Amino acid sequence: MKYPLLVVLFLTTNLLFSQKRELGKVTIEELKEKYHPIDSLAPAAILFQTGKTTFQYSQEEGFYLVTEVEVKIKIYTKEGYEFANEAIQFYVGGNEKESVDFSKAFTYNLVGDKVEKTKLKGENEFIENVNKFWSVKKITMPNVREGSIIEYKYEIKSPYYSVFPEWKFQKSIPVKFSQYETNIPEYFTYNVYRKGSLIPVESKSKEGKTISITNKDLVRSGAAIKYERTNESINYTVEKVVYTLENLKALNDESFVNNIENYTAGLQHELSGKKMPNSMFESFSLTWEDVVKNIYKNDNFGEQLNITNYFENDIKGFINDQDKVNKIFEFVKTRMNWNGLYGYNCDEGVKKAYQNKTGNVADINLMLVAMLKYANVDADPVLISTRSNGIPLFPSRTAFNYVIVRVNNNEKSYFLDATDKNAMINILPLRDLNWNGRLVKNDGYSEMLDLMPQFISNDVVTVLAKIENESEISGQTREQYFAYNAYNYRNKYRKLNKESIVENVEKKFDGLEINDYEVTNVESLNEPVIEKYAFVNKNEIEKIGNKILFSPLMHFKADKNPFLVEKREYPIDFSFPFKDKYSISIAVPDGYEVAFLPETITLSMDNNYGVFSYIINSSANQIQLVVNFEINVSIVPAEDYVMLKEFFDRMIQKQNEKVILLKK
Amino acid sequence: MKKIFFLFIFLLSISIFSQENIFTTILIPKELTENANSVVRNQKIDVEIFSKKNMTIKKYKVVTVLNSKGLGNIDAIEYYDKSTSVKSIEAIIYNSFGKEIKKIKRKDFIDQSVADGFSVYSDDRKLFLDYIPIEYPFTIVYTSELETSNTAFLPKWLPLDDFYESIENSSITIKYMSGLGFKYKEKNFNNYNISKQQDLNQITYRAVNIVAQKREELSPSFKNIYPSVLFGLDFFSLEGVEGNATTWEEFGKWRYKSLLSDNEEVSIQTQNAIRELVKDADSPIEKAKRIYEYVQNKTRYVSIQVGIGGWKPMLVSDVDRLGYGDCKALTNYTRVLLKTVGVNSYYTVVYGGEEKISFETDFVSMQGNHIILALPVATGYIFLECTSQTSPFGFNGNFTDDRYALIVKPEGGEIVKTTNYNDSKNKQIISGTYTIDATGNLSGFIQIKSSGIQYDVVYPIEKKSNEDKESYYKNRFSWIKNLKIKKINQLNDKEKIEFTEDVEMMAQSYATISNDLMIVPLNVFNRYVNIPQRYKERKNSFEVSRGFHDNDITQINFPNGYVIDGKFDNVIIESTFGKYKLMLDKENENFVLKREFILNNGVYDKSEYENYRKFMEQIAKSDNSKIILKKA
Repeated sequence: MKYPLLVVLFLTTNLLFSQKRELGKVTIEELKEKYHPIDSLAPAAILFQTGKTTFQYSQEEGFYLVTEVEVKIKIYTKEGYEFANEAIQFYVGGNEKESVDFSKAFTYNLVGDKVEKTKLKGENEFIENVNKFWSVKKITMPNVREGSIIEYKYEIKSPYYSVFPEWKFQKSIPVKFSQYETNIPEYFTYNVYRKGSLIPVESKSKEGKTISITNKDLVRSGAAIKYERTNESINYTVEKVVYTLENLKALNDESFVNNIENYTAGLQHELSGKKMPNSMFESFSLTWEDVVKNIYKNDNFGEQLNITNYFENDIKGFINDQDKVNKIFEFVKTRMNWNGLYGYNCDEGVKKAYQNKTGNVADINLMLVAMLKYANVDADPVLISTRSNGIPLFPSRTAFNYVIVRVNNNEKSYFLDATDKNAMINILPLRDLNWNGRLVKNDGYSEMLDLMPQFISNDVVTVLAKIENESEISGQTREQYFAYNAYNYRNKYRKLNKESIVENVEKKFDGLEINDYEVTNVESLNEPVIEKYAFVNKNEIEKIGNKILFSPLMHFKADKNPFLVEKREYPIDFSFPFKDKYSISIAVPDGYEVAFLPETITLSMDNNYGVFSYIINSSANQIQLVVNFEINVSIVPAEDYVMLKEFFDRMIQKQNEKVILLKK
Repeated sequence: MKKIFFLFIFLLSISIFSQENIFTTILIPKELTENANSVVRNQKIDVEIFSKKNMTIKKYKVVTVLNSKGLGNIDAIEYYDKSTSVKSIEAIIYNSFGKEIKKIKRKDFIDQSVADGFSVYSDDRKLFLDYIPIEYPFTIVYTSELETSNTAFLPKWLPLDDFYESIENSSITIKYMSGLGFKYKEKNFNNYNISKQQDLNQITYRAVNIVAQKREELSPSFKNIYPSVLFGLDFFSLEGVEGNATTWEEFGKWRYKSLLSDNEEVSIQTQNAIRELVKDADSPIEKAKRIYEYVQNKTRYVSIQVGIGGWKPMLVSDVDRLGYGDCKALTNYTRVLLKTVGVNSYYTVVYGGEEKISFETDFVSMQGNHIILALPVATGYIFLECTSQTSPFGFNGNFTDDRYALIVKPEGGEIVKTTNYNDSKNKQIISGTYTIDATGNLSGFIQIKSSGIQYDVVYPIEKKSNEDKESYYKNRFSWIKNLKIKKINQLNDKEKIEFTEDVEMMAQSYATISNDLMIVPLNVFNRYVNIPQRYKERKNSFEVSRGFHDNDITQINFPNGYVIDGKFDNVIIESTFGKYKLMLDKENENFVLKREFILNNGVYDKSEYENYRKFMEQIAKSDNSKIILKKA
């Protein structure tokens, strides 16, 4: 009876041993594995990825950062071949350059019952000079087949230790084991930012280190002056932190996701302070207040708000205007042309940008703040992180990448962004709508502000229609687009001629025929866009025997639910709250009577997320339908996904229900 | 002396004046701004061929950009590499009154690697202008000069090179050294105002006043409807290698000799391995099949474009060792392996892409952008796509189907047409059954068999995750609300080149109940939903480039206790575009819905477009037919 226990023990140790995460230890079992044990359709999987960032010292360059990464990947299918190519970007734009080196790169295959090992050679490595700032080192692993295991190591050397390379635990394929280790000398303190919902296991330890420095000093010995070499040793402690996550699922993108990167498990490190021997502590950023103060202090930010001489003459006329906020905003929007570059620091400076009529985000929006302040409006910059930059959860300089404007006027506050010609007061480009921003005042005060629109953007549709020839519905539509709906309309159609707009609208409504199309207020941004047209819908009416069937929402009904998956991991992002209202009246053709009307209903979601109401009535020769669809929040959390999906299912079902007319 | 000086100043001022005239935007004829985002005011391309190994290309282009959508038509971009250098490049911007507002020098152009995401590595670079306009309209004058030792590609003249751009004036002049066999081919000049002037060793084309063209759905490819002139040389140089393009035969011979013939060596081990692999194969096709699969399992597609590598396949022995290569390398590798076991096959140059672009068969020159392998068989050729690790043997798919290509044989080139999957070869057969219960719920089972291009479209789904597969069917059957997928079974038969899908599904409240009536949309499994765009006035002919043949049979079980109250009339539509049938029959107590839809390939006159649209509209409507059941 004693034996089995022994065997078990022996097996376990063996198992532990084979789990060792080192390069060059590829087993036949690993090569034989045909599919991923958990995600059987995964094209490839990361068996392990370990990263280690350390500081090294050279007397010439001081401290620099070395990040070593070792990766072992299993390729299951041909679809996974793309993971046999790797590309690492490095910065070459400054005086000091980064470098990337690949080593220990091998492809392992099972040939018969033997492990065949193919080395990556120089011919499989390429450097591409992307532009004057960035280069990319690319490798293409040789001899890759289904079942191959590939391994490589790379080392990034960087003089820029203010930020570590971001560590991403999660990938688009499953990751069995991911570990990142940082070794930080006592002289530096870093802020550590965690992304995603998974919390890595942490372990910390300390060890001592020594640097030897050779000094060449001028020494006076008697009358002679000579160089003398002295050796000096400096001892310091290094804190080692190891972060580990295991068995991570592959990450998939879905519809209505803000930015999938927000939900990817990862770590970022940013330098917050430095204290070198014999010098004062130098703080970089610790709190949001510190971050903001640092940004404000910069000449390319705070200073830019105080320069006014370049525009004074041009905006004189607006200063005493009742509507000066709007006038100045329009003035900047019209004059300035955004060059597509983000950033909260000015590129050229407001003055030069003003002269050139073009600039980056900061050039344009800080200029707007300066003008508004000059006109005695309470205006301040707001630092934000755009959707593409992800959600800033921790204080850091890189948390922000953009700046907009907040105005406080008559006890109301508004956001402005003059980089987009279609933007309005409180209607920001969608890239700006990303959770919170940070208002900055010149006295260093800062405050968090919710950027997500709180107001509802309406869309009001009125239709008068009749059924003709027992085969088509024709009528008149008037649609009014408010707020973000108007913004979206202008973004899409402002530059198109009428003919192209009509073609687009016909396409949107699946082959609807549109005539007498008219649109007003496209150029008057403060008014709702109003669209009017006559239509003929030839697809909706169906005649079966002595009955006519049609959905009274006609081409306005949704055909399918945008939410397909049964479960969801990420919040649903609608960008802005909205309300669509349809008032439709349809004349019943002569000789017919209403045999059936769908039921009047109201659907609503918990937490007041949204409502759908469908109210239908008929008189002798008219059918009246009023439909309201509102989503009252910008973001619905993932845990309410099932409710949301169900709501959409039932709503779309209702929209597709038919009225039945019977021949008298 | 004074007089002359005065005259000189006078002349100068006149020329300045006239120049400003060109650059003011107010003088653009109105018909040229209609539908236009930009107007080419004046474009001049001057090409001078000094020798087989030396050519310069000078460009001068004045474009007025009317709005931000026209920015893409400035085309201030030049590509360069080891054999081509950009000697000068600059641009000047004028406002709408013709006043200069900015001068852009070479150093302000962006210099970047041509990393297209497709190539792993390329040593080609580009110099381009990224100008942020401060007002519209504005006019840009762009000049550049290139010098190259490659004469295999002469510039092609496309006076109109995009939609929504009009042309006031555009010309090209080519001066060439005699004896190089200079040639040209004009295309689609039909109604455009284009003139030609020919002198000794020189040719000029000029186009004036071409109005902006709109993009229209289903239009034939751009190069088949708008004017262009192709230029070429019989005797040229490519990356230092001299070439001959007098006939396809000669051209093929040259291409084989200079780019392929010295690259046929493969290691003894591999030779032995593949001989072993095919030793009991009884036919060349069987051998080819085994070797094709061998290559599919051993290699992967990676693009590397360096120097002549853009034209010459990388070494066979390297592909063998490294297990990767681009289309040239993988095709040539397969060819050499086949040759080793005594099977002849040929390197074949083709235009790859969903749009069927053919070789200009009557203009011998470097063409194509992709390589496949042609295997001669009794009936012609089988074409092998060597860059795919998953494609069945001999299957082209929509990337290289039905187009003219060049086969490179040691004894000379030959133009052939690749395999087509038109009409009935592009098939989908559905057999299904569904049941509606008394509450209107649907449960159903469907088997779909796809071949031809329909196979190509659907087979990659086999390798997707279960979640993706479910989403795929929910999208495919988007008209079924509340769809739940219960079971999926897929079979990829690479021998028959047929993909079979078995799907079990259900949906709550599929049929709607209205008092004692139940309305059932009959066609659950296959609906055509893409109605072509309507145009007030269609300008271009249109093309159905890949027809198909769908055949569906569905058994239907209606709930007990209901009788038919009304049903659609059976539909039969026949036209030049194809045939459509939808009928509900009763067979042994069961209802059977039969649907057949044949769409023909074809190019049609624009006057037929509205009929085609109606044809599709009718089909979409029939596919949505319903039956009304009444409680008995």
